Amino acid sequence: MPPAEIETVCIVGGGTAGWMTAAGLSQKLQGLPVSIRLIESEEIGTVGVGEATLPHIRSFNNTLNINEPEFMRETEATFKLGIEFCDWGRIGDRYIHPFGDFGPIVNEVPFYHHWLRMKAQGDASRLDEYSFPIMAAERNRFRRPSDDLSKVESTFGYAYQFDASLYAKFLRRYSEGKGVTRTEGKIVGTNLNSETGFVDSVQLDTGAVVSADLFIDCSGFRGLLIEQALQTGYDDWSNWLPCNRAIAVPTESRGRLGPFTRATARKSGWQWRIPLQQRVGNGYVYCSDFISDDDAERELLDNLDAPKIADPKPLRFTTGRRRMLWNKNVVAIGLSGGFLEPLESTSIHLIQDGITELIHLFPDKAFRQSDIDEYNRRMALHFERVRDFLLLHYVATQRDDSEMWRYFRSMTLPESLQEKISAWTTRGYIIKYEFGLFLPPSWIAVMLGQNLVPGGYDRRVDAVSDNDLVSNASAIRANVSAAVRETPDHADFIRQIGAAATLQSVAVDAR
Amino acid sequence: MICGGGLAAHITVAMLSRQLPATIGITFVQLGDTSGTDLFYGSVAGPTAYAFNRSAGLEEPKLVLESDTAFSWGTKYDHWASGSRSWIQCFQLPLPIIDGVMFHHYVVQQGVAQLEPFLAAAAAARKGAFVHPPQKPGAGQEPLSRSEYGYQFDAMSYGGLFDACTDRGRVRIVNATTLEIERDESGIAAILLASGERIAGDLFVDCTGPDALVVSRVGSSFAARRKLGAAISHSPSAQLGAPMRTVSPTSFGWRSETPLRGRRARLTVYHPDSTADALQEHPDGAERTCEITLGRRSDAWCGNCVAIGQAAYVVEPLSTAPLLLLERDVERLMSLIPSSTDMSIERREYNRQSAEDHEHAELFTRAILETDHFPDTPYWQAVRAEPTNEKFARKIELFQDRGLLVSYDLEPFNPEDWTILHFGMGRGPARHDRMADRAPRDRVQGFLARMKRDVEKAVASLPSHATYMAELSRYLTQNRL
Repeated sequence: MPPAEIETVCIVGGGTAGWMTAAGLSQKLQGLPVSIRLIESEEIGTVGVGEATLPHIRSFNNTLNINEPEFMRETEATFKLGIEFCDWGRIGDRYIHPFGDFGPIVNEVPFYHHWLRMKAQGDASRLDEYSFPIMAAERNRFRRPSDDLSKVESTFGYAYQFDASLYAKFLRRYSEGKGVTRTEGKIVGTNLNSETGFVDSVQLDTGAVVSADLFIDCSGFRGLLIEQALQTGYDDWSNWLPCNRAIAVPTESRGRLGPFTRATARKSGWQWRIPLQQRVGNGYVYCSDFISDDDAERELLDNLDAPKIADPKPLRFTTGRRRMLWNKNVVAIGLSGGFLEPLESTSIHLIQDGITELIHLFPDKAFRQSDIDEYNRRMALHFERVRDFLLLHYVATQRDDSEMWRYFRSMTLPESLQEKISAWTTRGYIIKYEFGLFLPPSWIAVMLGQNLVPGGYDRRVDAVSDNDLVSNASAIRANVSAAVRETPDHADFIRQIGAAATLQSVAVDAR
Repeated sequence: MICGGGLAAHITVAMLSRQLPATIGITFVQLGDTSGTDLFYGSVAGPTAYAFNRSAGLEEPKLVLESDTAFSWGTKYDHWASGSRSWIQCFQLPLPIIDGVMFHHYVVQQGVAQLEPFLAAAAAARKGAFVHPPQKPGAGQEPLSRSEYGYQFDAMSYGGLFDACTDRGRVRIVNATTLEIERDESGIAAILLASGERIAGDLFVDCTGPDALVVSRVGSSFAARRKLGAAISHSPSAQLGAPMRTVSPTSFGWRSETPLRGRRARLTVYHPDSTADALQEHPDGAERTCEITLGRRSDAWCGNCVAIGQAAYVVEPLSTAPLLLLERDVERLMSLIPSSTDMSIERREYNRQSAEDHEHAELFTRAILETDHFPDTPYWQAVRAEPTNEKFARKIELFQDRGLLVSYDLEPFNPEDWTILHFGMGRGPARHDRMADRAPRDRVQGFLARMKRDVEKAVASLPSHATYMAELSRYLTQNRL
């Protein structure tokens, strides 16, 4: 007889991770005899894990059959074409890491190699001019990608900037509509099975005891089940990514609404700016070894471009990940599984990965070790590859104007990252992988944007004549600018599709 | 500087001469007889061949008009696993994902043990029929548009095609019988021929086959595994056979039959102790035989010398792995042509990818051999004695247990290849994805029945491979510019 199927799932914690998990599972398990319960406490605040997302969020929303304008109204969302990085390579530099490629493949070779040759021959065009999402973002314009793959308007993806706590609320309504039961209460104890060490049940302050076959720990940094109960252990990555604190503060919305997030490098960390419909999320991620909390707060408040509308809120964290994200019958999703600073908006994405892989490897009551091992292998790879990409931002730099930047200068990098950087600087070669978040254009954008200019390019490019090289490039550029001219203003587009909530009045005032 | 001969050399020379800028001089030192070892490239190319060949300058019409190459939907493994199982390992684009669940889970849910009824290429292969899969399917053609095709070839004539499309003005060709190597601190400075000629170069490409005449002299060592023999014979055929190779297990190893145009090729691959048994399968005598040792060199790229194909590793031609790996070698080389004499970056990256490709291709071959149902003879004993690794165990275990495909970065064989193989080998999963149970059973049943009918209908009206090939040749001849 095959082992019995899972009948009960208990999600511990109701922040972004908890409600995303509840929504994802309730959709996927709908019609099957599985009951899902989520326990959360109004008393415990949630950490909004960053308000900017990556294009993959759209496939998550699509799976849930979420209506885009409705979702955007409910979460104060704006569109996002990429991230603008300021002062990273050198103070005064800026570049956009776009959700899209730089030009097409020409004669088997990615376009940027052709551009590298032109640059070596003295051409002054920026690689950005071959990217639709960068050129549109710089002009605060937005449209959805075209379905016609022959058009430059199809060469990008997009994401959202939204209020994560409103997103959690939105998904709570969705999940409850799909039959998820919400239980109010604080967990005061965990009961482990004396033979297997599995979590049998959790004890609430209300006196209730909740048992389940599968527990999903979305309790945040504390890791109530995965760590406090099962003592799984944590791999601390602070030596690579030493930032360990953040302060967040919202401001009024001013100026034109940009379809991009901004990350500005500072002496002891970096500052984010995320424009939503009616306000702007700001924050300073820093390392406490290099700056005091008071100084960090002052630096943040001094660098806001509009009046704040709430008090600054501090956060603490340790970069790294849980040694196993799935241990016995507990799966850790969200901050309980690990934390990587939101420099590339990966927090919500890692939640999504956790949910997707769990669905692929959804267990039965036998909890086979092979399933657990495979889940942990996949998640470890996701985390490590994001870590390397984040670290790239700190080490691909000419800055040495503070203790933090000097710390990164003297660092020995993970071998996988060192190889990637060397292959790029030597010959513009991108070492590819299949299972990881960031595709070659992302690596190109950051390395080039932070002044790592390759010493060579793909030799096949030299087989193209000078004339063809230049005329092909200017045709792509012309194509991109023509497409951008036809693209509507970002704020107008949000209004047009009926996605504006508070945007209307604010935007009119701002003009 | 390319050294060697046969399939690997001709493909490499064609690609380099086609794609490198004129500022890079190319010399081809033709050397050695690889007609025996080329048998180990097998006789089937997968769907990657079309685009690969084009980028080397070999267009399909030329291949149709100027060689005995035929089309191929894949390989039939006949009476292979579990004693009497047969399946067609066809080339397939991704199968449908329904409601977020991969197709094969519905097949398992319905208790169907075979994937084949849903694969148009397999059905067409079984019928001996061929057409090019439609890009934009017309009515009734949808199943075929998810099929892919490759080629059935004879290694010598396939290599000849690449040789013929190499621009003679672009490449300097030198014939040699022996060679000496002049070394310097970066590896090789020049090659010295018996004639006394000295040919210097910045980068040396070793296409001399398993002997690896160049790279073996700059320090790349060979890790040997099983020893194998191969013998080939041909018989004339008035009519072109099925677009499918047939492989059958035997006590000495295995035998394949590949229909080509005008002839059929029979290849036997055997343990050297069973040579006599194998040769009995060639009643008129084998035309060529060859013994070889499977394995891989420590570094495919050593100093300033890159080994391509069998000079880097020798794999068994049981699947399309040998040619697939050769194509990937050449593509990898093209993307890593050094930009200076310090090639350390290129070398490390090339070797990393090469080792991974080889390892991953070997997982696939091993998965075809991994069963207890074969005879207790030297070939099969040697196969069973080879160790497997953790990556392999995970792939097998998770599919067998729950139909989950475990994949690693950029594998040569794609998830469809693996799914078809697992089903063929009878590794149908013990349980299916539970999410498949959300769909009403009768609707799933109806869907599968319809899909099967669509496949049958689409295949019923197809012309035979022979007819299609004859008409295509006539058309191409008439319309040739």
